[in-house]
Amino acid sequence: MSIMRALCWQFERKLPHQMARMAMLRRETHHDGTRLMSGDREIVGYGVNGSPIYVDCVEFPFPAIRYREVTADLCAVREKELGDWKALSLQEKKLLYRHSFCQTYAEFQHFTPDWKLVMGVGFWSLAIGLLISVWYNFKLYDPVPETYAEERRQAQLRRIIQLEMNPITGLSSKWCYHTNKWK
Amino acid sequence: MLRITAGKLGNAIRGTIGVTSSRVAAVRALHGSEESAEDFDKRYEKYFSREGIDGWEIRKGMNDLLGMDLVPSPKIIEAGLRGARRVNDIALAIRWLEGCKDKCGDQKATLYPYLLEKITPTLKELGIPTIEELGYDQPELALKSVYDL
Repeated sequence: MSIMRALCWQFERKLPHQMARMAMLRRETHHDGTRLMSGDREIVGYGVNGSPIYVDCVEFPFPAIRYREVTADLCAVREKELGDWKALSLQEKKLLYRHSFCQTYAEFQHFTPDWKLVMGVGFWSLAIGLLISVWYNFKLYDPVPETYAEERRQAQLRRIIQLEMNPITGLSSKWCYHTNKWK
Repeated sequence: MLRITAGKLGNAIRGTIGVTSSRVAAVRALHGSEESAEDFDKRYEKYFSREGIDGWEIRKGMNDLLGMDLVPSPKIIEAGLRGARRVNDIALAIRWLEGCKDKCGDQKATLYPYLLEKITPTLKELGIPTIEELGYDQPELALKSVYDL
């Protein structure tokens, strides 16, 4: 909401106040804003980069904040957690885990079918590119030059051999000048 | 003239910032020794079992350990679990177990049962369920797409 407000001010007013508003915008989208967005979540560690953000990843399995905000129900279970953990039921243990973390390792490492979308988009781009190149060939480009004709290319080859071009490793080295045949 | 000045300047520099060979040797010897595996285990055990450690430091230690190219030894895992007990955070303990299981990589079939066997007494003592007891070895919940929120 406040970001929207700042954006609106950006467009409505003129230069003298612009710098201050830019600073505010930057502040609200960067650090203090992140802090605001994290709400009543408890900050429990440094996390990935010191910002109060939540992310499930193998590289940093312990994010800076707990996943859920504190509620009255949860406080009761947290009170119970202070005592012996054997007194907690399996459901309560799961509840506490899900309070701190969004997904388990098994869940965030689960293979998703996203590759289908990626392959699909790739093939679509290929198909569109091919269609465009076909259209270019038929509609846009001039016909090929007359030097592309078969007899003209033969004449060119004959001349290359007569001039003995590339006689050591190239084309003429493969031509026998005694028998006038390919070696 | 230039040669005399340069010579004097050179002498002056040699006197002030010149480093003698004995000093070089002393500095280089500082990072000569390599920590043995036992020392490493002991260091982290000590880190997790320090009196008055808080959740922030435990998380830092665990994040560091799980970022290294190693599987934490059962001793370290136990120390981590006890650390989580001391700050009364069972979620931390479960996540730590999961992280250690994940570190076994493609050797899960051989390494993980060994680790589990070693740390079972501690798990029983503290009342921490294993990942299998929680059913977290398989995906339990699906995430709602952000476009449907």
